[in-house]
Amino acid sequence: MKTCLIVDDSRMIRRVAGRIVKDLGFETVEAINGQDALDKCLIEMPHAILVDWAMPVMDGFDFVKKLRASPQGDKPIVVFCTSVRDVQRIVEALAAGADEYIMKPFDSDIIESKFALAGLV
Amino acid sequence: MSADTRQGAMSLQPSYYDALRRLTLELAGVHLGDNHAFLVETRLSRLARGQGFDSLEAMVNELFMKGASRLALQIVSALTERDTHFFKDETAFKRLREIVLPDLHRKRGGGRVQLLSFGCASGQEAYGMAMTAYDMRKELDELKVDIVAVDYPSQVLERAKNGRYTHFDVQRGLPIQKLITHFDSVDSDWVVKDHIKEMVEFKETHLLSKLDELDDFHAVMFCGSLPHYSAPARVRVLRGLTNLVKDHGYLILGEGESLSQMNFGFDRVDNQQGIYIKREVIIEPEIDPDLKVHNGRTSFQKAKVIRKSLT
Repeated sequence: MKTCLIVDDSRMIRRVAGRIVKDLGFETVEAINGQDALDKCLIEMPHAILVDWAMPVMDGFDFVKKLRASPQGDKPIVVFCTSVRDVQRIVEALAAGADEYIMKPFDSDIIESKFALAGLV
Repeated sequence: MSADTRQGAMSLQPSYYDALRRLTLELAGVHLGDNHAFLVETRLSRLARGQGFDSLEAMVNELFMKGASRLALQIVSALTERDTHFFKDETAFKRLREIVLPDLHRKRGGGRVQLLSFGCASGQEAYGMAMTAYDMRKELDELKVDIVAVDYPSQVLERAKNGRYTHFDVQRGLPIQKLITHFDSVDSDWVVKDHIKEMVEFKETHLLSKLDELDDFHAVMFCGSLPHYSAPARVRVLRGLTNLVKDHGYLILGEGESLSQMNFGFDRVDNQQGIYIKREVIIEPEIDPDLKVHNGRTSFQKAKVIRKSLT
């Protein structure tokens, strides 16, 4: 079964997103910030990562840059899932290595559509 | 009857619902199910309020008493509206990108290519066609595409003309790269940029009976609606539609849709279902009765052969 790492400092968002992603056939792993996510990627690299931007300790932007620079870090499909909707910030996220971008609030249709665009479902 | 407040929808008596079902079948060739009364109430309530009616019955009475044809089309449009999103039919867009546009660009020698989005609803298909063509300009040098998008007059079509979409609309089917390239973020919405808007012209058209008012096109995209038509209406709409395609032009249907037993002068492309190319029509020679050969008979060989072409 494919795995999806859900990285968000909000437990509620992790729970809601986790339920949607499970319905798409993924096993989920959770991380509460970028550093926690990097640690979990070292243990096992997931197939997909759904990551928030603004988080304490390490934000999503730094996480993606560090992930992409790490061994096997080019493998996961990374989808930003954030309230940030500024076009310039989206461009930066893509340049850092994100494959797709979801703007909150989201619903199951949006996550499914974005995962499909990224070739995950 | 005054408007009730059930989820903002006005209620409708069964006899009125039946009348609207008959109207929709007659005007648009589309069957409404037996159990769609609530959906009908929800969709028509917005239209009724927008038109200043206190109730759905008042609007339907106005329609049938006064024979308000524009109102009839607006009602039918609201009733036949379907959920859509950007690049909904992936296969159709793949064919547009990989087969249709490269071939038409080559055949047209760089000349303008005219496309039709038939039953364009809120415009995502038409703008998707425009974005596809725009993004192919590098590989197809000087590709110039004009798109006409047609549907019944409706609030949805007005929305398409404005090119303004919600946060949810632009996140279904639209890759993020296309969003940031072809849309501006305005307040809480996203608005299609001018370089894409300028490629698309939206027109109000009765999809079953006014097609002769349209020009001919190098390719027509008609996706997702065919199964909803009644059998006679399906033949009628396909006949009208196929007449709009220039010789050697393309017809692109939706996933799982086909011309079935009818070919309307089209052949499948590479034996694939859902994409067709129109055969060249050779019009019967015009015979000049004065053009005689030595035996006194008219010469067919010397008669002028008229061919419709892609030009």
